[in-house]
Amino acid sequence: MNGKRKNVGGMKSWMTLIPISAKVRRKQSRMTGLCIALAVALVSTLFGMADMAIRSQKMQAVLTDGNWHAAFKTLSPEQEELLRARTQVEVSSWYDTVNYRLDEGYMLEGVQTVICGMEENFLDMFPAARIVEGTFPENTGSAVFSKGVKERLGVKVGDTLELELPDGNYVPLKISGFLGDTSLLTVADAFGAFVGRETFSGLAPKEAGERKDGVCYVRFVPRCDIQKTLGDIQAQFGLAKEQIGQNTRLLGLMGQSRDPFIVQLYAVALLLAVLVMVAGILMITGSLNSNIAQRTSFFGMLRCLGAKPRQVIRFVRCEALNWCKTAIPAGILTGIVVVWILCGLLRTLSPSYFGEMPVFGVSFAGTAAGIVLGTVTVLLAAQAPAKKAAKVSPLAAVSGNAGTVYAVKKAAATGFFSVETALGIHHAKGSKKNFLLLTGSFAFTILLFLGFSATIDFMGHAVTPLNPYTPDVSVMSPDNTCSVSGALLERLEHNPAVKRVYGRRFAYNVPVLLDQKEGRMNLISYEKHQFGWAEKMLLSGTVKKAKSGQGVMIEYAYAGENTLRQGSVITVDLPGGGVQELEVTAVLSKTPFDLGEGVENVICSEELFERLTGETDYTVLDIQLNQRATEGDVMQIRREAGEGTVFSDRRMSNREARGAYYCYAVFLYGFLAIIALISAFNIINSIGMSVSAHILQYGAMRAVGMSDRQLVGMVAAEAAAYVFAGIAAGCLLGLWLHKFIFEHMVSFRWGDPWYVPVRYMGMIIALILASAVAAVYRPMKQIRKMSIVETLRGCAEPQIDTV
Amino acid sequence: MEILKTENVNKIYGRGETEVKALRNVSFSMQKGEFAAVVGESGSGKSTLLNCIGGLDTPTEGKVFLNGEDLFGMKENNRTVFRRRNIGFIFQSFHLIAELNVEQNIIFPLLLDHEKPDPTQLGELLEVLHLQERRKHLPGQLSGGQQQRVAIGRALITRPALVLADEPTGNLDSKNSQDVMELLFRAARHYQQTVLMITHNQNLAALADRVLRIADGALTELGGMRK
Repeated sequence: MNGKRKNVGGMKSWMTLIPISAKVRRKQSRMTGLCIALAVALVSTLFGMADMAIRSQKMQAVLTDGNWHAAFKTLSPEQEELLRARTQVEVSSWYDTVNYRLDEGYMLEGVQTVICGMEENFLDMFPAARIVEGTFPENTGSAVFSKGVKERLGVKVGDTLELELPDGNYVPLKISGFLGDTSLLTVADAFGAFVGRETFSGLAPKEAGERKDGVCYVRFVPRCDIQKTLGDIQAQFGLAKEQIGQNTRLLGLMGQSRDPFIVQLYAVALLLAVLVMVAGILMITGSLNSNIAQRTSFFGMLRCLGAKPRQVIRFVRCEALNWCKTAIPAGILTGIVVVWILCGLLRTLSPSYFGEMPVFGVSFAGTAAGIVLGTVTVLLAAQAPAKKAAKVSPLAAVSGNAGTVYAVKKAAATGFFSVETALGIHHAKGSKKNFLLLTGSFAFTILLFLGFSATIDFMGHAVTPLNPYTPDVSVMSPDNTCSVSGALLERLEHNPAVKRVYGRRFAYNVPVLLDQKEGRMNLISYEKHQFGWAEKMLLSGTVKKAKSGQGVMIEYAYAGENTLRQGSVITVDLPGGGVQELEVTAVLSKTPFDLGEGVENVICSEELFERLTGETDYTVLDIQLNQRATEGDVMQIRREAGEGTVFSDRRMSNREARGAYYCYAVFLYGFLAIIALISAFNIINSIGMSVSAHILQYGAMRAVGMSDRQLVGMVAAEAAAYVFAGIAAGCLLGLWLHKFIFEHMVSFRWGDPWYVPVRYMGMIIALILASAVAAVYRPMKQIRKMSIVETLRGCAEPQIDTV
Repeated sequence: MEILKTENVNKIYGRGETEVKALRNVSFSMQKGEFAAVVGESGSGKSTLLNCIGGLDTPTEGKVFLNGEDLFGMKENNRTVFRRRNIGFIFQSFHLIAELNVEQNIIFPLLLDHEKPDPTQLGELLEVLHLQERRKHLPGQLSGGQQQRVAIGRALITRPALVLADEPTGNLDSKNSQDVMELLFRAARHYQQTVLMITHNQNLAALADRVLRIADGALTELGGMRK
């Protein structure tokens, strides 16, 4: 009697109905599960990718800027000792340099040589400065040299080189090893000698007061509040703000920067993260709402059989959690796999930069975001439909009109449209909540797409690897005069290894009147290639006038650095041209030149330059090489340029920039592709679910004579109502978001005015329309195969396959 | 005039061990204006017969002619159009379109044909159906009997040659059942329409011109019961 009762019919309790019901309505459950999985995948992929992007950016930052957090200048020995003794300091190294600008006269075999003094820890903080052969100089009088020294001077470890000092004396330095070339050295065509602290003090100029005692680079321990620590150190040592430098990029990526521009970027990232979450929430809520709404009669039947409203609520919640059991892990797994694919892609694209990146890394942030969003949203989203289900009257289950998925309050307007179109639109708008959720989720994906597309513009400005004008190698005048022969340009134009060669003439610090005020300008000449590129950077005015010598161009300066505007007049008095007035006829967003304080960069045509200065030769020749150009070709160009020029090889620094660009590009385009894909899945899934919800009604309509074409028309009208409303809302909000992000990330820094992103808008609209067509086509094909009779009897489960 | 004719209609569901012969060599015909009732046990094949005649289900074998046209000799699309013009359906559970009001539900088959309803005809029909006051109501705002009357109106609006009614009073009480039956009879008489009705109710069947019995898929004529 008191023994365990057997589970009759395999049912332990009424809750066992949940998996049974899910099994019976397998396809519908699969659709809801898929929707949850998609939302979770979206969130975990985007967060995972953001995590990976930050990781790879950190790697980039460490390689290019170094793995240090703060640099303290001109510390006293006591201060340095105290600083190094702090518990927050993980690694530190002293560093100093002479002849950094290659103008102090330190030479090796006639080549300008940068002398760097450091401790061994420095190499740990600057992984790019890797010893490729030999060891760090432990003894006084020995040094590690840049690889170029070995290649060009034909020396080996253990040899001794004579370093020429500015005073003409020579100091012997024993080679203890070689360091990989840095882009800084290759660009400047210089050598580097790296020595210990003691050796450095013997080489550095002795005049007291002229030199300070270098910089102390510091890396803090993990999880240290760097800004607070820096504040403490500054206060404790009484340091001026200028004495503390920060590795802004690395700190920014660690979330430890207070740089205003980085703070702007944080705000944008936060906004995008919130939007991604909202998109996920909308997708899940829409799906659950639709799933539960179409089973009104089922819940009514439960009530009819004696289930209390509370039990129905519990049933819906447990059912939702039951979906989570498989959907969340599936979504997270998908997210992880997508991130793996992208990381793999990055490694393939740029192995030298992303070789260290784990292909099979798992992002904690992505996984956590996916789980939290999935579970919390599902539970919250189930709340409203659960209450609704509990309110279903038992009578609803037994009175006809099955297939009514919501309480109809208003009749369809059949007067304006054909009846099938009117019904389709009415189906869409029948439930305001459902309509808002679906169009909202479509709109959100458009919003996200357009929002993220603005970051592509940011990338275009911030990390363009190769601006169209970026040269591979340059031949420059050593004294910044027009001393590079025009004949060399002509010869290089015929060199098969050269793709393009273009020269510029410079006249520095020319005294002028800028809108009648005294000032100075750097006059720079452009030729046809450069004018062509300038067209693409044009902010206002016209390039044509400058090209024909009737005007000049300037660069837009953010933060109001220059005083010139379009229409400004520059009065110049140069030996070649007498007093002339030059009108600013174009403003460019970007030029290859730095803006100097108090000096305007003014760009003109070669003819105008010649007219004003009489100069016909060049200050710099920029050369872009063909893809097949070899080291031998570059050496040949170097020889051709001759001794009287400075040869700058930028290929290495270009590669570095390209690595950063790939990193951004893969992640940003990856984000866009995922958002687009999710949009397509979401639309196909949502419309499939809506069709499922109305399938019994479709059966009745077919029975009374609705043709397949009319049925398609009805579903298409319903899909169109969701999609067009979604597109309208999405584009409107998306444009606003695009503008907001653009202005904060691009206009703020580079001055480009906001533009309507027609291309991206067109792309996402086309994709959404294509998805809508697919969304209508698939279920219709299946409905046609369904028997009207079975559908009418209610035997046919509304089982529409989705994606 | 012969409106409906079936020739050796067979319908088999399933295969092998699960094979069920729902209809066996069903052959019969109906004249214009005739009112016939089909009676039989549950699962005997009544609804299958109605669905095959109405073109909702395809017979495994045999032919169905309506107004001399071979229903299953047509393409699916043509059959749909033919059906909505020539056959009116009345279902036990009404199957009204929840989003359409009474008037819209009734004229629905006309709208599908892109036809403008004749207001006089509609008014007359609403009057016959006693639905003038409810013409703008939604199905959810009607009683079961009223809903079935709307369904009858929908079946009659195109003046179809054949009206098929599958237990039209199955969900109604006796008063409403009586009203519905009266309506069907009046329609058959008034518009000279042929009505084939499935019913369990022997009393209702007794009101028909002819009664057909179906048992194990085989149809037998019980003769005329109503004069």
